[in-house]
Amino acid sequence: MSSSSVLTDDTALSRADRAWLRLEAGLNLLSGVVIFLLVILAVVNVLGRKFFGAPVPGYVDWTQQFMATFAFLGLAFCQREGGHIRMDIVVGRLRGRVLWFAEFLSVVFMLLLTTALIYGTWFHFLRSFDTSLPLWSRDSSIDIALPLWPAKLLVPFSIAVLWVRLVLQIWGYWRALKTAAHAPVAVPLIEDAATVAAHEAETVSGRDG
Amino acid sequence: MDSLIDMKALLAGVDVFTLSLWLSGFLVVLVVIGVRVAFATAFIGFLGLCLFFMQKQGFDRGLITAMKLTGQIPHSKSTTYALSLIPTFILIGYLAYYAGLTRYLFEAAKRWVGWLPGGLGVATVFATAGFAAVSGASVATSAVFARIAIPEMLKVGYDKRFAAGVVAAGGTLASLIPPSAILVIYAIIVEQSVGKLLLAGFVPGAVSALIYGALIVGLARYRRDLGPAVRGFTWGQRLAALPGTLPIILVVFIIVYSIYFGWATPTEAGALGAFVVLLMALWQGMKWRDLRGALMEAAKLTVMIFTMIWGVLIYVRFLGFAKLPDAFAGFIGGLDQPALLTLLLILGAYVILGMFMDAIGMLILTLPVTFPAVIALNGGPDVTREASALGMTGEECAIWFGIIVVKMAELCLITPPIGLNCFVVAGVAQDTRLPISVQDVFRGASPFFIADVVTVGVLIAFPGIVLWLPNLL
Repeated sequence: MSSSSVLTDDTALSRADRAWLRLEAGLNLLSGVVIFLLVILAVVNVLGRKFFGAPVPGYVDWTQQFMATFAFLGLAFCQREGGHIRMDIVVGRLRGRVLWFAEFLSVVFMLLLTTALIYGTWFHFLRSFDTSLPLWSRDSSIDIALPLWPAKLLVPFSIAVLWVRLVLQIWGYWRALKTAAHAPVAVPLIEDAATVAAHEAETVSGRDG
Repeated sequence: MDSLIDMKALLAGVDVFTLSLWLSGFLVVLVVIGVRVAFATAFIGFLGLCLFFMQKQGFDRGLITAMKLTGQIPHSKSTTYALSLIPTFILIGYLAYYAGLTRYLFEAAKRWVGWLPGGLGVATVFATAGFAAVSGASVATSAVFARIAIPEMLKVGYDKRFAAGVVAAGGTLASLIPPSAILVIYAIIVEQSVGKLLLAGFVPGAVSALIYGALIVGLARYRRDLGPAVRGFTWGQRLAALPGTLPIILVVFIIVYSIYFGWATPTEAGALGAFVVLLMALWQGMKWRDLRGALMEAAKLTVMIFTMIWGVLIYVRFLGFAKLPDAFAGFIGGLDQPALLTLLLILGAYVILGMFMDAIGMLILTLPVTFPAVIALNGGPDVTREASALGMTGEECAIWFGIIVVKMAELCLITPPIGLNCFVVAGVAQDTRLPISVQDVFRGASPFFIADVVTVGVLIAFPGIVLWLPNLL
C-alpha cells in the first residue's frame, strides 16, 4: 500500500476515522481479491476453450456480475486515501482557513451528490428485487440467468459507506477551519509534486531487482 | 404540498442549452477549486438533470425523476464487459514490480546496445519502454529507472542532465504500447473497438522509442562528453541476458497476438498477461504481503477509474438532453479555417490542460465534448476517406485521434510547471544523494520534448503509421 498522508491522534474524530478505515480497507481488499479471481477465471476460460473445448459456463455473466465489486467497494477507501483524481494547482497554493474552507466546500458538494445517488441507486436495486419471485429476482443475466439484484445492491451500499466517510471528512475540515490547524487529522493532506515524487520513489524502492 | 418551490415558473423561458453552458462553466469552477473530477462531473450532470426535469415536472417530481435517472448510470455503465479489461492491465502493472523485470531488462538492453554512442541511454529508453508498456505507469517507471539507470550512466561519465532527461522521457512511453489502460478508457468513452485502439498504439509507441534512441545516439555523437559508449560484451553474454526479458515480450505478444488473430477477447488476453507476470513474481519470491499490497493498490486505482467513468457519463447524459456536444461539433465543423488548424488548436489546448492535470482526468473530462467535434471536423462519423477533411474515415479518425491525444497527455509529463516525471526523477536522485536538481531534469528532458512534438507532427501528417495495424483486423 502506498503511504497515506492522513494524520492521526487520540481525538474522537481520529478514532472514528481509523475504525471506519478498517471497514473501508477490508472492502477494498475484497475488491482486489475479486480482481485476482476474475483474472484466474478468465485464464481458465480461455485455456479451457482453446485446449479442452470446455469454456467456463456463463463466463461473461459471472464477470459482469462481479464487476460491481471492484467498480464500487473501494469507493470510500479511495476517498479516505485521497486517491480520486483532482486538480490541485489552485488548492495546493492555499493555506490555513482558506484552504480548509475550500476543502470543506468540496466535500459538501460530494455529500449532496452521494445523498442523491444513494436514493437513485437504491431505487435501481428495488426494481430488480422482489421477494415473491424465484431467487427474489425480477431480472437476470442473458446467458445463465444470474439474478442482477446482488450486484445492484452493492452500489447503494458502497455509496453509503462513502457517505459516512464524507461526513467524517466534513467534521475534520470543519474542525480545521475552526482551529486554523496547520495539519488536521482524519483528512487527506495535499502533497506537492516533490512529495508525491518522494512517495513514489519510496513505494517502488526495493522492488527493482 | 404540491411543491416547495415553483420551479416551473422559475425556470420558464430558460432553454436547456444555455443552462448546459452555465453548468459547464460551473463544472470548470468546481474542478479548479479542487473537487474530485469524478464527483464534480457527476454533480453537475445531476444538477443539470434536476433543473431539466424540474422545468417540466416541478420541484418534487423533477427531483425524483433526476435521482432515479442518475441512479441507473453507475451500475449499468460500470458492468459493461469491455471494462473488465481495466483491472487486469492495472494488476499487471502492480505485479510487474515484484517480477524483477526492471534489472533484467536494463541489463539485456545494456549488453545489446551499450556499444552505441550514448548506448546506456539507448538501453535505458528501450528498457523503460518495455517496462512502462507492461506496468502502464509512466511516473512509477521513471522512479524505478532513476534508481537503476542513472547511477550506472553517471559511473561511466554521462552528463547528469542528459542521464536524468533520458529516464524522465523514457517513462512517457507507457501509454501507447499495449497493454495500455488509458487507451481502453478512451475506447470506452468514445465507443470504439478496444482491440483496434490497443493495436493502433503499438507502432506509434515503438516508433517513439526508436526516435528517442536515434536522438540519444545523435546527441552523443555530436557532443562526445554527453554519453560514452560501453563496450566489451560478448555474444554469449548478450544471449544470456535475454531469458529474463521473456515475460515482458510474452505479455505484449499475448495481447497483440490474441487481439489480432481473435484468439481471445481483450479481457482474456489481459488476464493471461497478468497470469504470466504473477507466475514470474511468485518465481522471484513474492510474498502474500506483497500480493496483498498489489491487490490493494490495483483495487484503489480501479475504483478511481470506474468512478471517473460513471461520473462523467452522468454529465454526458445531461449534455445529451442539452445537445451541447452537437452544438460544439457544429461550431467547430462550421469554422471558416482549415480543419488542420482547428485540430492543432484543440491539441494546443490539451498541452495547456495537461500541464495542470493528470492524463486520465484530462481525457475523461474533455472527450465528451472534444471527440464529437474532431469527428465533425473530419466530416462526421460515416464520412468516407475521399470526402473527409483529414483523409480518414470516421472510424479511422476516432482511433487516430485517441493515439494523438494520449501521446499529447504523455508529453505533458516532461513539461514545466508540473511535469511529474521530472519531479520524480529529481526526487529519487535526491533520495540516493545524486547531485541532480529538478531544473537539471527538465533541461535534460527538453530534447525529448522536441522529439515528441516532431513525432506528433509525423503522426498527424501520416495517419497511416497509426492506422495500418488496426486496419488489418
